Amino acid sequence: MAEQYPILVLLVLLFGALLVGLAGMADRRICFPVTVTALALALAVSLGILQRVINEGVIRYFVAGWSRPVGIGIELRIDTINALVLLTITTVGLLAAVFSFRRVKEDKTEKTPLFYILYLLLIMGLSGMVITGDAFNLYVLLEVSSLTSYALIAMGKSRRAAVAAFSYIIMGTIGASFYLLGVGYLYLRTGTLNMVEIHQAITGLEGVSSAIVVAFVMIIVGLMIKMAFFPLFGWLPNAYSYCPSSTSCVVAPLMTKVGVYVMVRMMLTVFGTEWVFENLQYSQWMVGMAVIAILAGSVMALAQVELKKMFCYIIVAEVGYMVGGAWLANHWGMVGTVYHIMSDAFMTLCMFLAAGIFLKQAGVVRIDQLDGMFRKMPLTMAGFVVGALAMIGIPPTCGFFSKLYLIRGGMESGHWGYVVALLISSLVNAVLFFRIFEIAYFGKKPVEGHGHHADHSERSVIKEARLSALVPLLTTAVIIILLGIFNQDLVDLIERSLKGAEVIGSAVLSGEGGLG
Amino acid sequence: MKWVGLIAVLFTGGLLLSAMDDFPKWGDAHSPANASPVSQYYIEKTIEDSGVPNMVTAVLADYRGYDTMFETVVVLIAGIAIMAILRVMNQIPGGARPSPRHEIGDHHDIIIGTTCRLLIPVLQLFALYVIAHGHHSPGGGFQGGVILGASFILTAIAQGLDPALERLPEKSYVKLAFAGVVIYSGFGVMCLLLGENFLDYGVLHVLLPGIDAAEARSHSMLGVEVGVAFTVSAIMFAIYANLASKGELEGGL
Repeated sequence: MAEQYPILVLLVLLFGALLVGLAGMADRRICFPVTVTALALALAVSLGILQRVINEGVIRYFVAGWSRPVGIGIELRIDTINALVLLTITTVGLLAAVFSFRRVKEDKTEKTPLFYILYLLLIMGLSGMVITGDAFNLYVLLEVSSLTSYALIAMGKSRRAAVAAFSYIIMGTIGASFYLLGVGYLYLRTGTLNMVEIHQAITGLEGVSSAIVVAFVMIIVGLMIKMAFFPLFGWLPNAYSYCPSSTSCVVAPLMTKVGVYVMVRMMLTVFGTEWVFENLQYSQWMVGMAVIAILAGSVMALAQVELKKMFCYIIVAEVGYMVGGAWLANHWGMVGTVYHIMSDAFMTLCMFLAAGIFLKQAGVVRIDQLDGMFRKMPLTMAGFVVGALAMIGIPPTCGFFSKLYLIRGGMESGHWGYVVALLISSLVNAVLFFRIFEIAYFGKKPVEGHGHHADHSERSVIKEARLSALVPLLTTAVIIILLGIFNQDLVDLIERSLKGAEVIGSAVLSGEGGLG
Repeated sequence: MKWVGLIAVLFTGGLLLSAMDDFPKWGDAHSPANASPVSQYYIEKTIEDSGVPNMVTAVLADYRGYDTMFETVVVLIAGIAIMAILRVMNQIPGGARPSPRHEIGDHHDIIIGTTCRLLIPVLQLFALYVIAHGHHSPGGGFQGGVILGASFILTAIAQGLDPALERLPEKSYVKLAFAGVVIYSGFGVMCLLLGENFLDYGVLHVLLPGIDAAEARSHSMLGVEVGVAFTVSAIMFAIYANLASKGELEGGL
């Protein structure tokens, strides 16, 4: 049983979706229980996978048993990094699914089964992308996750959701085709699609092959679109803020993070850190762009009046953190990036859950409508505050530790611009969130005169959120703190994959010496 | 903005062309893709492994069957996505909507009607042939499924959407689409239950007495192709029906 875990995590989600499709169309009441059960099973299996990876090392699962020669079939390959990201995906999926309990009923009653089918297939696609060891299989699952997310975003009520989904489709398709072209070039030069085999073929080539450089550029640019890295983020803010809350809670925390994960996987396993950092001298450029991404994302977040839009621009800045961290070309930068993939997923989840609750209970769209929320919704605000403190980077939340590692990486490799950008971005986050706290705690500033009291009676009916919304939010808050408290254990796990594996045949990341 | 787009396209094209030097020669037998142990294995061992003369089918449905399963899921998602976005589901309770069906249904062309009447059975028969003959010639579940789906669409074009939906109502095509993926993944799960890895068809020979592992692979490939054809044909029709009627599934073009 245990050796089948990698495939089981996808199968429970796939069969959950099929069951919703076949039985849920007739009886809508079973959709939610089936979805939550499937996700809970997937979460349990991914815990089992993590357990196995910790005990036994890298898991290699050959689908259909085609193991010799490597590459004729498809290999699923799980080390501690993907096990952790997989666990993040299934946990976020489960929490956001619980949150969707009431919302979907109210958003589009008749389409509940369709929503849950797409939802389960989205989580399946993302999980599949994370566990695969095959560059083309990753593309197929990228299609699964992209198509489902387009549809989920387009299901929003307003027309703007459809327009946002359309521009997301165009951008996302360009990104996916770039990735596919890159994989094509790789196949042309290496004759295999298996990630480890590609790596061996690349290291076996003499000199720098221009086809492989082009493949690398195409893959990274394609992924930059998918993860909304700075100049290519245009599709993100509208897509994530106009879609239904139940959708944004799963899409916003996961899609960009999985894009970053794929980039990390490409750098570590497929091309290899030696090749990426020593043959190509792109590090300076990429970190420079990350600095611009961080600063631009933060400045644009400052300019927003809508809550969800503000979170979207924070995501843009956070993607900058992670891309910059990965390209710092040293140990702590990479550790910080992987750790931040996890912590940012939960922080973003926390933000969007809170935004969903505010929208539902109080109709809050703009930041200044949040006045008095501490009094009206104390529990929701408690969860929100934890997430906000993590975004700012205050110990013991996970946001503090990921920034700590990233800054350490930046200092060790001498990228001071990156360090400064991180600190400025944290300051901006502090300004953003303390502004919200101020409004929510003290109410609006009395600049507007007497108008403030007029709508007071109408506002006071706002009640605390329902249990199905509070439980995920508070669980997320607890996870954010737990990730912070157990940061050392997580870092140990991440380091295990950076050090041990034969595929990272590089001294660059093994902790002994950076590029300096 | 147009200029930015042009520059981006030219730059990307230039980038792709810049690697041309590094390509293996056209038709080079020793190019990495041809000389790799993977290609060698497919060429030498396909017949031995599964007895399927069409190597492409063997790669698609057996060696890399996992990819193909998810491609089938992608097709399913495409249909579900169209339904999720377009389908108008809140019917007015009790009250029949004024439907344009009679106006459209009445004056269909006799030439088109007769041609389609002759064409559709042949099309469907050919679709089944393409599905079943994928082992030996170009074809398989995707191609056959598209032809089968096209025959339903032709019915809808010739006779109107409503008669076509009477033959293949929404409930049925949704079930068919899901059944296809159930068939495909069902083959995989059977292998799991018999103690082998997912989609390792060879083990299925214990279910059918008198065949060996290679034959089991060959038959299972046909089975999953049938599953693919279910999904593809149903989704083709679903997409047409939703697009043609703006999601109301009435009247049509």
